[in-house]
Amino acid sequence: MRKSLFNLLLLMLASTSLMAGGYQVRLQGARQTGMGLTGTALKSGASDIFYNPGSLSFLGKKFELNLGGNAIISKISFRDLESDYTAKTDNPVSPPFFVYGAGKITDKLVMGLGVYTPYGSKTVWPDDWKGRYLIQNIGLRAYYLQPTLSYQLSDKFGIGAGFVYMYGKADIQKALPYNDATANLSGSATAMGFNLGLFFKATDKINLGINYRSKIDVELTEGDATFDIPTSISTILPTNNKFSASLPMPANLDFGVSIQATDKLLLSLELNWVMWGVYDTLTFTFKEKGELLNSKNPRLYSDSFIPRLGIEYNASQKLTLRAGAYYDKTPTNKDYFNPETVSLNTMAFTFGFTYKPTDNLKVDFSFAQLFGQEMERAYTPANFSGKYKSSASIPGLGITYSF
Amino acid sequence: MNRKYFAILSALILIAFAGCQPTIEDFPVSNGNADFTRYVALGNSLTAGYADGALYKSAQANSYPAILARQFAKVGGGAFVQPVVDNEIGLFGNKRILGYATDCKGVTSLSPVLAEGTPVGLPGALAPVGYPVQNLGVPGAKAAHLIFPGYGNPAGLLTQPPSANPYFVRFASSATTSVLADAMAQNPTFFSLWIGNNDVLGYALAGGENNVGESITSMDVFNFAYNTLVETLTSGGAKGVVANIPDITSIPFFNTVPAMGLVLTEEQAAQLNGAYAQVENYIRTVVGIPNFSYGISFKAGVNPFVVEDRNFPYPLPKAFRVRQAKPGELILLTVPQDSLKCAGMGTFSLEKQRPYGIPQNFVLDEEEVQNIKTAVANMNATIKNLADQKGLAFVDVATLLESAKTGLVYDGITFSTTFVTGGIFSLDGVHMNQRGAAIVANAFIEAINKKYGASIPKADITAYPGIVFP
Repeated sequence: MRKSLFNLLLLMLASTSLMAGGYQVRLQGARQTGMGLTGTALKSGASDIFYNPGSLSFLGKKFELNLGGNAIISKISFRDLESDYTAKTDNPVSPPFFVYGAGKITDKLVMGLGVYTPYGSKTVWPDDWKGRYLIQNIGLRAYYLQPTLSYQLSDKFGIGAGFVYMYGKADIQKALPYNDATANLSGSATAMGFNLGLFFKATDKINLGINYRSKIDVELTEGDATFDIPTSISTILPTNNKFSASLPMPANLDFGVSIQATDKLLLSLELNWVMWGVYDTLTFTFKEKGELLNSKNPRLYSDSFIPRLGIEYNASQKLTLRAGAYYDKTPTNKDYFNPETVSLNTMAFTFGFTYKPTDNLKVDFSFAQLFGQEMERAYTPANFSGKYKSSASIPGLGITYSF
Repeated sequence: MNRKYFAILSALILIAFAGCQPTIEDFPVSNGNADFTRYVALGNSLTAGYADGALYKSAQANSYPAILARQFAKVGGGAFVQPVVDNEIGLFGNKRILGYATDCKGVTSLSPVLAEGTPVGLPGALAPVGYPVQNLGVPGAKAAHLIFPGYGNPAGLLTQPPSANPYFVRFASSATTSVLADAMAQNPTFFSLWIGNNDVLGYALAGGENNVGESITSMDVFNFAYNTLVETLTSGGAKGVVANIPDITSIPFFNTVPAMGLVLTEEQAAQLNGAYAQVENYIRTVVGIPNFSYGISFKAGVNPFVVEDRNFPYPLPKAFRVRQAKPGELILLTVPQDSLKCAGMGTFSLEKQRPYGIPQNFVLDEEEVQNIKTAVANMNATIKNLADQKGLAFVDVATLLESAKTGLVYDGITFSTTFVTGGIFSLDGVHMNQRGAAIVANAFIEAINKKYGASIPKADITAYPGIVFP
């Protein structure tokens, strides 16, 4: 067992990013990931800080620490629409992680703190690829810090609220049509939001959950824009510039129901409403030479609804097995699909298990396999079109310590 | 389930998926009902791969027919040999690169400058390449030249006017052959023909590559030549593609210096008005033409340049026969910039105290522009008719470049017909750069695919270099 896990770790290091559903990454708990990334109507302990602050109040133990991470090994293939030109990404492994701590203040009041990375993507296209004037490399990462309070209104009803403080950063490289010129943009920003949840034990066997995570606009200001350009162009364009841009982290409204089908079998059903419609235009504003550099880039995303299904089977005292699936319809617009975020209609299958060597310790393993379906997409303002297909393999590990 | 097996299973699944690159079905290539086994390209400098004022190695290697042949190779196309110029400065020199030039006012700016280096030069430039070529593009050639036997005869270079072309002398199979005959000798299965540009522009491009002939080819000659070309090329059953002639206003050589490009302050305008009033007064009183007036007035802001007037109604010395340019008239890229900036060309010579019109050989006046437009329209009608008659693919380069005036976007790059920064044309302002050649090649592929039900992959425009910036 230990050796196998070690092998898995090696594999993670050897390989690469996930971009299902825009640039959202919903890998904030190993149990939930194993169950098709459901969690709104589950009582999962400390990781409820993300999935539903309402159910956090049902924390079984006095204190729980839960940490873990995933290795997103993602691959994207591209083929030009009118030629045999093909390209594939060489994405590094993207490592979203989570750390949660939660403790009981009173029998009914639980306080918790979570740090997690719900948005991000890292896409690296070949240096000479055909789409380099749209995007060469892009890295987005948002770190959320969420102090949370959860309160049990009754035996059946829990509510919770978290305040979110976010730090986000972005790195973007693209080519410019002057010899091998490149534009490099990097910046960071902080922003705030919130996470609200309700949890309701409808019957002994059925739980319901609703969770709302607010939209957060990441406003990059005073970002660094460096232009690696021929000297003759540097008289027109300053090589060191500042820029600002805004990227929305959309709101999520999640509805979940869990059903204890038998003593050993738990079903979890969920629908996520991801309000991607807010991502309309990506606007870059530059401090100098704005008249040449400023751009408004249409994205025209639409809201997406993601149905999810997960099951959990208690094989023994020490071992719990899980599986799940979901279908994530792309929020992107077919005519405004920029290869910076290759988000395709995605079918995903997950599984996982938890091994519980002692009463206080749990080791979780999860694995999600995403199949981005082949889609023909265009970014019409750039007259760039092709077929895209993606896949992502995401092994994850988690450790929970409680007392 | 045993934990060990579960872990092994997990590892296997991970290995199975994580190693896989998602596969997209291949582009469905097809030659349709055309056969690209033996492709020959006929045309002028555009076909030869001439760029930046010279026929040089790298631009030739990426001539539009060479790019086409590379794409044809994916649907059964065979070898495509060009009369290689193994020199980056070119056969005869005169190659331009983008550099810095200091003007008469001492202002240094980005500008096309003569490339340093040694061209092939004479006599090497005329040495026969010694192998048959499939790119039979001959810089300077007009339609009739392609059917003219002896166009590759070295002796013809010395006659007045010359009856041969040095570029064809290099690869003509004999002194008596024609470009067409050399093409037919290869028993082509497919041809491209883009000819006619020089039939119109030859006389306008003074100082350009073409120094043969001064007038627009008559339609009788053009029709006969074009008809002969198409009849002969298709006589063995070959299929092909023909392209038409672009409007001159979409070529930087003619659209870079605006006829309405004289920008004046209020003070300068007043000075010029005063100067012209003095000249007019002189002509009225001293020369003795009562009521003489140029009808010229300058104002603050944008004014038309003053140009030499070949239809001037009064018997005055040439220097005094001037008028303001009219909208639609064109000034050539080769107009001496220093004279324009510092010697008063286009306005008034302070030194000589007399009008200084832009000389006629740098101006296409209303009548010349109209002659060119009429000729282009007529020739394009011939080209289109013959293409339709013979069932050939037809590339509407004229429309392509017309739409490029307002910007054409490919793969995130915006192209236009603007000189240097437009990205399509090379530094001579007439010929495409290599990226522009790829755009043209793709227009050819589109036309061929449409006509012959083929599915030839387009070229990757971004893989070809544009203008190199220092």
